[in-house]
Amino acid sequence: MTSLVLTLTETLRYKGALGQWSWVLHRITGLGVVLFLVLHVIDTSWAYFYPELYVKAIAVYQSPLFTIGEFALVACVVYHAYNGLRIALIDFKPVWWRHQEKAARYVLIATAVTLVPVFVLMFSHVLKHYQSPDVQVLGLDAVVESQIPFIAGFVIAGFAALLLSAITMAILPKSAAGPKAKPTGSQIERFWWSFMRLSGVLIIPLVFGHLAAMHVLQGVFDMTVAGMTVVGVPVSGDATALWNGINASGTAVEFVGERWNHLLGGVAIWRVFDAALLMLVTIHGFNGLRYVLTDYTSFNPMLKRAAIYLCIMGAVVLLVTGIGALLGTIDQTAVDMAKEATAKLFAP
Amino acid sequence: MEVTFRIRRQNPEDPAKKKPYWQEFTLQNVAETDRVLELMHRIKWEQDGTLAFRRSCSHGICGSDAMRINGRNALACKLLVRNVGSKIQLEPILGLPVLKDLIVDMEPFFDHYRSIMPYFVNNSPVPANGRERIQMPEDQVFMNDTGNCILCACCTTSCPSFWANGKYVGPAAIVQAHRFVFDTRDEATAERLDVLADPDGVWRCRTIYNCTPACPRGIEVTKAIGEVKLAVMRGTNKGVIKASDIKVNH
Repeated sequence: MTSLVLTLTETLRYKGALGQWSWVLHRITGLGVVLFLVLHVIDTSWAYFYPELYVKAIAVYQSPLFTIGEFALVACVVYHAYNGLRIALIDFKPVWWRHQEKAARYVLIATAVTLVPVFVLMFSHVLKHYQSPDVQVLGLDAVVESQIPFIAGFVIAGFAALLLSAITMAILPKSAAGPKAKPTGSQIERFWWSFMRLSGVLIIPLVFGHLAAMHVLQGVFDMTVAGMTVVGVPVSGDATALWNGINASGTAVEFVGERWNHLLGGVAIWRVFDAALLMLVTIHGFNGLRYVLTDYTSFNPMLKRAAIYLCIMGAVVLLVTGIGALLGTIDQTAVDMAKEATAKLFAP
Repeated sequence: MEVTFRIRRQNPEDPAKKKPYWQEFTLQNVAETDRVLELMHRIKWEQDGTLAFRRSCSHGICGSDAMRINGRNALACKLLVRNVGSKIQLEPILGLPVLKDLIVDMEPFFDHYRSIMPYFVNNSPVPANGRERIQMPEDQVFMNDTGNCILCACCTTSCPSFWANGKYVGPAAIVQAHRFVFDTRDEATAERLDVLADPDGVWRCRTIYNCTPACPRGIEVTKAIGEVKLAVMRGTNKGVIKASDIKVNH
């Protein structure tokens, strides 16, 4: 804890240049994205596992608190992507460090330039939503209440990681926990270093495509409009079919079903897209979280081990739930359950 | 002109001064070409003999007087009043235990330095004439910049990764490793790269760039770390640095 507090206060006090602030922003935006990722993957998996819970989750996403959060999230992703590119490029050619300060300024400018039209479009969705006559907003208390399971989950995961770490330390021979012998080369860190850079570059087109489709062209408010088209899914002529490119029931579950069941040349392209994004972002995000947590826990081997366990647990949980949902089939029953849940959601 | 000093002081041996505190000193008749170190001498000699700091050559060669001056690491002997202004704040460098006032315990820093094998290794027979192992000028340029390091610790103690984690080997030790890794005559590259591939080796560098402007010798520290990272990745020093990457106006 002391090392974290000391680093925070001294980073504020030390007169570092723009490079230092880029690093601070890269960490903050990364942590922000990982936090949202956990909520988002688990919530979205409910479209398959618990359709009625998914309806609630989307209502939560449509509440003012999460709308503010969505704007912050998009800003985090855009900055993290551009700055990550700057880091990766200079790592690839260290001599380019001479342009790092200029590059850091360009990253800030490019982030701002990107965010202006994006925020305008996102705000137009918000405006449209609140202007519609039958708008229903979930109260703040209900929104906060809906996040309690997540907070409880974080606390339990933290304790589980600590317990697991304590047990492992007790079982391990003492020498392994003692002072480090002569350091030896670690293949695993080489792998992670390359992985972070490679996955980061691969994630950029995927995540920008995802943001464009799900946050800018259409927003979370469009998921619950009956009779609306679904971005990335062409409308088929068959009005009687369930999966025809139109969200007839106006439920978020049908919206997700339309995307995941859309076949292009026999391939469920949106499932493949989402799976690729899920795997890359989860592993990139939780390894990034490991970097941050182990930086500040190195003074205590048990805490450091717990931090690593926590990241592994987080990544495994997200990958299992996410891929589990992507492999599942959303059918008429799920849409009916969602319809029923929607009717009950705002019932007194 | 008049100059005010604000100095972070601490004396672990005195119970009343165990906790760090700030003390101010005012000096008259200061020229803007005076060095910060000279003024510190004036404080010590004229006002408070208990003020403790290290200095030796006072010409930017020995690297004894690294400290945080107005929020940034530098050597007190290399900064003039006109570089820093008339309000000067001095603190010990961060990340190493403070022994007294501006003096820190450098042992952990030198432990990291020793861990990278900072000596020339070549077990092949000595040249026939029994004299030096000759190196071509075009090979020598690769270690030109990092060979300038004076181990003052300005870079290592400007690094937030090192503040957070004292086990991180730190910029200075990596710069020193760079000097030997890219020495074409040295034969211990593989061993040295192995040491630096440790999780607390080069990988703790997050390219924050505090180290490079902190270096009183103008070494491109972050670039050197980046080159060592690439050498560790590839398992060899060959082809990592292009001749065109090397600063000419040194």
